Amino acid sequence: MTESVLELRGIDMHYGYVRALDAIDVTVGHGEVVGLLGDNGAGKSTLLKVMSGAHQPTSGTILVHGEPTTFASPSDSTAAGVQMVYQDLALVEAQDIATNLNLGREILRKGPLGWLGFVDHKAQRKRAADELDRLGVRTAPVTRPVEMLSGGQRQVVALARAATRVTGERNGVLLLDEPTAALGYEQTRQVRALIRRMAEQGVACVLVTHDLPLAAAVCDRIVVLNRGRKVADVAAAETDNDQLVGWITGARESMFC
Amino acid sequence: MTVTAEPTIAETADPAGVRGLLFVRDRGIFVLWAALLIGFGLWASPYFASLDNALLIANAAALTAIFAAGIAVGIICGALDLSIPGTAAMAGCVCGALMTHGVPVGLGIVAGLAVGVLVGVLNGLIALRGFNPIIVTIGSLSVLSGLAAALAGGYTIPGLTGLMFLGTDRFAGIPAPVWVVAALFVAGTVFLTRTRDGIRLMAVGGNAEAVRRAGIHADRYKVLGFVVSGFCAALGGLVTAALVTEANPAANPGIIFNALTAVALAGVSLAGGRGSLPRVLVGALILGTIANGLTIKGIQPYWATAVTGVLLLASLGLEKWVSTTVSRRLVVAAQDDKKVTR
Repeated sequence: MTESVLELRGIDMHYGYVRALDAIDVTVGHGEVVGLLGDNGAGKSTLLKVMSGAHQPTSGTILVHGEPTTFASPSDSTAAGVQMVYQDLALVEAQDIATNLNLGREILRKGPLGWLGFVDHKAQRKRAADELDRLGVRTAPVTRPVEMLSGGQRQVVALARAATRVTGERNGVLLLDEPTAALGYEQTRQVRALIRRMAEQGVACVLVTHDLPLAAAVCDRIVVLNRGRKVADVAAAETDNDQLVGWITGARESMFC
Repeated sequence: MTVTAEPTIAETADPAGVRGLLFVRDRGIFVLWAALLIGFGLWASPYFASLDNALLIANAAALTAIFAAGIAVGIICGALDLSIPGTAAMAGCVCGALMTHGVPVGLGIVAGLAVGVLVGVLNGLIALRGFNPIIVTIGSLSVLSGLAAALAGGYTIPGLTGLMFLGTDRFAGIPAPVWVVAALFVAGTVFLTRTRDGIRLMAVGGNAEAVRRAGIHADRYKVLGFVVSGFCAALGGLVTAALVTEANPAANPGIIFNALTAVALAGVSLAGGRGSLPRVLVGALILGTIANGLTIKGIQPYWATAVTGVLLLASLGLEKWVSTTVSRRLVVAAQDDKKVTR
């Protein structure tokens, strides 16, 4: 295992008397894709929300790059390099791809025009195109408005935007909740390939999904939750569909008992 | 785990048909105006196609254009500002009242514009509390027209000859309001398309949540939209007062509908987030051109209103047709791409 980017130790989460998460340990390595599987109500989304800072755990520690951190809000986790990818709400439809990718970190022109807040469109388009090329997903000209893109292309742009925000000095983690739920076969393939390419560049992903073939194809490691407990944590190459279904349904004994 | 290398889909240029349709959508209003100019030029020859008449049209369209700029920036940023007539009346009266008490013209104008900015800030701060901007600005419209009447004592403030350099005077042969419009639209267009704040303002109108998630204070840009709109309204009020050398405290809601017609002709979506000021300017000029051409031919002015309405409805239909055709063609093109790469 390489250096861990995000580590959760003994995370408990109680809603009143309900134990949503029970002593969960998860480690996400540098550029690692971790699949989070489980039946409905197993705690996958709750765990993802703890990672993104939307929920605060009842007890337990979160470490980013080995340092203990507390996430009081989603902006804390974003600042630490852990970013949730939102599917529908992330893009400005009427603006083009380049503007969307550069929103909030615009490149200003040099000299007096820059002091007045003038944007260097050429540099922005170049950076957007370079970033998309690096991820290998330039599917449309960066001057194309987002409203003219297909669902898969939008998801790709949303992912790329999140990816560019966590690749600072140290690569961070993207949190994806059912990234392919609304996509067709071809588009799912494209998003899958994008996740792998981001991993190769050192961006780690935590992926909540119900899609077992997707998890098997894209993940390095798979964590299975069952009723708030971690029942499996295996390299994806060392397991198969039957084992996973067993852990998800509870038919198979937990690895940790 | 292994994933087979994905063939990178090459960057493809838009098909020629799509580009043509987009040209019609984005630049169609310029073509329409050119057609109107040529049509009237032939039909109403020789009176229509002259420099003097061009200045007449520009001057007549100037007020509509100023108010339309305010309405347009408001809508682009996500709020229809209905307080514009009240702000205009208030700005004119504040400037007029100050001038009759011996305050220099320049200071009076600054005070009038400051009224617009202040109204914008208040509108924005109230609307941020979660109230519907239309209702909020209807409220401020009433408050402002009441205050303006109280300030002016119920009558117009006459004798504002010091403002003539903004109204009936000409510079280099061109009427002052045309200069004002030119400066306003150049500054506004540069702001919206070239500066960080302008681009963010448009983005907030398109999807405030996405802007917030990019780590930007979206609320500040919502207020900024109201401020720009209030500033344009105050400027329009000052020019109105300058043209007749008196400040009228009665707010005239009719200017909203004129301006809205120009804005809608320009294809500014009421949903927010899109629109361009040069097209709004041409929208205002089209209204002026139709009224002027029909007047030259001796046709009753109410026909101009009817023709404008027909044009507006036709432009809506065209816009709808173009967007559905473009999206259909792009879907087909995307499917063809995949066949090639596979």
